[in-house]
Amino acid sequence: MNGISCSINALNGLYNISGVEVGQHFYWQIGGFQVHAQVLITSWVVIAILLGSAVIAVRNPQTIPTAGQNFFEYVLEFIRDVSKTQIGEEYGPWVPFIGTMFLFIFVSNWSGALLPWKIIQLPHGELAAPTNDINTTVALALLTSVAYFYAGLSKKGLGYFSKYIQPTPILLPINILEDFTKPLSLSFRLFGNILADELVVVVLVSLVPSVVPIPVMFLGLFTSGIQALIFATLAAAYIGESMEGHH
Amino acid sequence: MKNVTDSFVSLGHWPSAGSFGVNTDILATNPINLSVVLGVLIFFGKGVLSDLLDNRKERILNTIRNSEELREGAIERLEKARARLRKVEMEADQFRVNGYSEIEREKLNLINSTYKILEQLENYKNETIYFEQQRAINQVRQRVLQQALRGALGTLNSSLNNELHLRTISANIGLFGVMKEIID
Repeated sequence: MNGISCSINALNGLYNISGVEVGQHFYWQIGGFQVHAQVLITSWVVIAILLGSAVIAVRNPQTIPTAGQNFFEYVLEFIRDVSKTQIGEEYGPWVPFIGTMFLFIFVSNWSGALLPWKIIQLPHGELAAPTNDINTTVALALLTSVAYFYAGLSKKGLGYFSKYIQPTPILLPINILEDFTKPLSLSFRLFGNILADELVVVVLVSLVPSVVPIPVMFLGLFTSGIQALIFATLAAAYIGESMEGHH
Repeated sequence: MKNVTDSFVSLGHWPSAGSFGVNTDILATNPINLSVVLGVLIFFGKGVLSDLLDNRKERILNTIRNSEELREGAIERLEKARARLRKVEMEADQFRVNGYSEIEREKLNLINSTYKILEQLENYKNETIYFEQQRAINQVRQRVLQQALRGALGTLNSSLNNELHLRTISANIGLFGVMKEIID
């Protein structure tokens, strides 16, 4: 008992010296599963931000747009442009999907970098961007996988599977492997970028709290924005690739 | 130390430190850096974003204005074309009406002149007939007179002698004397 209390004191001292908690999560028990509650909480905040701002901005649409409506129309045009470039002519139905991917990842990355999450203290783990958890990014990547499969199958039917033996049947193993590496690379790219930036900032803050982390924070904002764009563009590219005609 | 690492490992499985609350450690929660980053972001981002959005708004306004102007121009041209059409239609109607009356007038003129010519010819005919009649009558008169004079001359030559001749001359002198008295 004494040993445990003094080790707990020592551990508290350890916590005070290096407050970096990597890999500790705040668990909730839902059904038979343990859920990462901190990711859920931050995801809900991101969803609330997105839905709230969208609802407020399009409340009273005018022909000559007001500032908020103008901004959202600009974002929509940007997303439409990305989808059109990657998917081609039938890009219409896919704009909501690509837009959701892009906006969710972008807002979650930037909220993790800009909002002062550390003020709220959880029993275990801490709040940060929801995309710094591999589960989130794998979920997004699997959604993209399902999406491009659905796109290919709904456009070409079972003839979609003929793409595995093009251009030559020798490449069949590589084409099958591609179906696994696409979601893998998407998820790990995003996860690695966001978690790594977060860790760098936290380490720098714990070493030199005041001015030095600022350039790294700017770099983090820049790269996380780019990562959101890359994820959305690649998702659109995969969808377009599976929908395009015969080579 | 081994105790510490042991409990660290076992606690890492199910940590039980801390609870919900507000972390007031300024060095850990990083508000200074965050506010600096947010401040710079808003400062520069506002300029860029408002430029972009203003450009977009300008473009929308210009497009709307252009299409309005084109619409106005098209409506004007339509109105002008309609007015021209109406004018031309009216002129065509007038031409049609005038044309008909012209034709009527020409017809009447032609009829009148023809009547006149016919009348003139009729007159000529009548005059010629009258003239010929008169000539025939004169010829007949002349012939009758000639016959009468020849008859008279024959009678006179057959029945004239000196006594009759003297009695006729004295009667005529007596007639001349009476006529002279009447004239005076």
